[in-house]
Amino acid sequence: MQKKGADLSASVASVAIVDGADAHQQLFASRIRAGLFALFTLLSVWITTSSAGVQGNFSFWADKIGGTNVEFSVPVNLLWGAVALLFGLMTLLQFVRGAAFKWRLAIGLISPLLVFALLARLLDGTTANLTVFFTSTLSFAIPVGVGALAGIIAERSGFLNIAVEGKLLFGAMVGSIASSITGVAIAGPIAGALIGAVVSLFLGWLGIRYKVDQIIAGTVINIGAVGITSFAYLRILQPNSQFNRPIGIDTIQIPLLSEIPVLGPILFSLSPYFYGSVGLVLFFTYMIYRTRWGLRLRAAGEQPSAAGTVGIDVVKLRYRAMLIAGLLAGFAGSYISLSGTGGFGMNTSAGKGFIALAAVIFGAWNPIFAFGASLVFGMASAATTLLSGLGVGLPPQILLSIPYIVTLIVVAGLIGRVRAPASAGRPYDQG
Amino acid sequence: MSTLKQFWLKVRVPALSISVALLIGALFLVFTDIEVLGMLLSDPLGALALGFGRAASSYSALFRGAFGDPANFGKALASGDVQLWARALRPIVESVVASVPLIFVGLGVSIAFRTGIFNIGGAGQFTMGAVGGAIAALVFGAGVVPAPIAILLVMIFGLLGGALWAFLPGLLKARVGASEVITTIMLNFIASQLVFFLVSNVEFIQKPPRIQPVSKELSQFVDLPGILPIASLRLDIGIIVALLTAVAVSWFLFRSTRGFELRAAGLNIAAAKYAGMGASTSIITAMLISGAISGLGGALVAVGTVKQLSPGIAGSVGFTAIAIALVGGTRPSGVVATALVFGLLQHGGSLMQVETSIPIEMLLFIQALVIAFIAAPELTLGILKNPFRRRQAKVTK
Repeated sequence: MQKKGADLSASVASVAIVDGADAHQQLFASRIRAGLFALFTLLSVWITTSSAGVQGNFSFWADKIGGTNVEFSVPVNLLWGAVALLFGLMTLLQFVRGAAFKWRLAIGLISPLLVFALLARLLDGTTANLTVFFTSTLSFAIPVGVGALAGIIAERSGFLNIAVEGKLLFGAMVGSIASSITGVAIAGPIAGALIGAVVSLFLGWLGIRYKVDQIIAGTVINIGAVGITSFAYLRILQPNSQFNRPIGIDTIQIPLLSEIPVLGPILFSLSPYFYGSVGLVLFFTYMIYRTRWGLRLRAAGEQPSAAGTVGIDVVKLRYRAMLIAGLLAGFAGSYISLSGTGGFGMNTSAGKGFIALAAVIFGAWNPIFAFGASLVFGMASAATTLLSGLGVGLPPQILLSIPYIVTLIVVAGLIGRVRAPASAGRPYDQG
Repeated sequence: MSTLKQFWLKVRVPALSISVALLIGALFLVFTDIEVLGMLLSDPLGALALGFGRAASSYSALFRGAFGDPANFGKALASGDVQLWARALRPIVESVVASVPLIFVGLGVSIAFRTGIFNIGGAGQFTMGAVGGAIAALVFGAGVVPAPIAILLVMIFGLLGGALWAFLPGLLKARVGASEVITTIMLNFIASQLVFFLVSNVEFIQKPPRIQPVSKELSQFVDLPGILPIASLRLDIGIIVALLTAVAVSWFLFRSTRGFELRAAGLNIAAAKYAGMGASTSIITAMLISGAISGLGGALVAVGTVKQLSPGIAGSVGFTAIAIALVGGTRPSGVVATALVFGLLQHGGSLMQVETSIPIEMLLFIQALVIAFIAAPELTLGILKNPFRRRQAKVTK
């Protein structure tokens, strides 16, 4: 009884805030954005003037991975000049158009150029292989992007899914073990997805059936995942390494398309995980926005009592969403241990599950945008790897914290505010 | 009699939760033993006997690591030799030492919980407190200022370091509604990278040959006085500060106006706003205090216990603190008691790891179970009648 009263007063309060203050707040936020863009413009002008004569040297493989090496170089100040110009344009548009300006898209469009410009400046003449850079971006973006998709589906149904990290870890470990024991490559992703589903249903059971606070339930999963997987690694996998020698999932060459020069090695000879992930993201975007299931899912996350009134079984729907989220997160986790060579290692997910949550927020709970966000995170991480491998002056610790700092900035909403599904995190009483 | 009964009512659920989690942990030990699993089909009874025998010896090592070996106590009693006493008492004293950081971070997390904030950043705030404390020790220690003042400065810098690291999530939560769960976790990662940077790049901090990523020996700069008559037992004033902090937190939360406002915001933020209490202020204040307490712990542990600053100084203290805050019902007395129990488990776990090579990571699994039992009263209702339900911390998004 008491709880319902609290909910009611909360919703009344939020209605009162939204009316007048929202437009004001949006305008304020757009001014802050414009100011930030102006700051970036000045910064890029400064870099342009200070890096005259420096060449950015890049190379890529034209025909296949490790094949013919093509090198080219671009003057760094040309790159930064372009960046400054674009930022200047964004500042202008942001000022003129205010809240209507599609800044998210603009940032998405400018970030690849920005990353190259940054790389070129930091490399300071050393040559960087772009094909390696691109594949390294993807190897980070795939688990993060699919993890974000898992987060989106759970949260759209009204279940705050902070346990993505834990599911990634479980998926990575079980995927590696299954692949090693059976000796069948496909067993890894399947087993990873299944364990993810089991863990996710357990999480849903705690949160839906027992109404455990969803953050606490997620924390149980995350702590338990670190504990169980590290324990099992030290106790079983390390002394018996035959259980941790998975069949790696190799890249596949798509016939004909992979022969295309330049684009072939970048786009058409990648891990099957990549094509799978892109397919899943597109499929679920369609499902969420264009089908009856998606409409019901969103209704359950926004206003479950209304959904319940028109006869939707919210509890069942949330369980199903958790099942799907678990399958996806576990699948994403299996990529971490199966794509490389080492199999499973302790804490091998290294916070990717939390970065996925930031991608969810940055992508405004839209799978395609969230995948785009994970590509940006992937680029930051790939740049880190590349630069630390080349021994560039910056200390690796600073580079290594870039993805976390970027995440922080994104979540902080410094560049704009997004709205979460209204009921994510609230348990539902099915009367 | 009635106070005894009240005490029992308070502790029975946490106690039973921990016991049940330990029992499940034992089952987990049995069924992750490769040898046992291999025998299970051919000789099930023998396999189970072997498995449970091993689990029992592991837990016996855990017990001896936590409280000390009874045999050693016998010898010490018989001879009265100081050295023997030191050996007999060392495990239990070390368990208390292990609980000091847990008390601090547990208290910090509890204050945030009471205000409806889920501060997972205990580890990062603890680490930054350690950084503050270490820098204060290096700057003011070794006779620059009198020792008591140096110790005071170490504590103040620790408080500031932790508060600084908690301020940002608090501000973001209050102003733009950014989820503190994500911001604090990101800051945890950044904090440990920052320490890594400091102890491997800054000459002023790094240990002289400058090869390993650790700081100079901090005890050469500031030495926290021990409180036990036997010098070789390292229990310093950290535990006293921890207990005093618990008393202060208790007074603050339940006797002061500001504490009342924090709890009101935690119970129902809309109602608190309606009653004219600044909800944003409450959130930021709670985070500042929460971070400051964790930071104080970090400074005292870095200078007093570990005597060094290293990237992994926080360990899993952030996770453990969440378990402690929930098991202790976010009450300072409960937090102190639970932290002592977890300190016993932790030091016992390290002996278990040495003697029976059971990874200490098992404790994380047990902590997860304990949190699940405490947080799902209906789940445990069958086994335990739960008086905790009424007092359970309410956590809002």
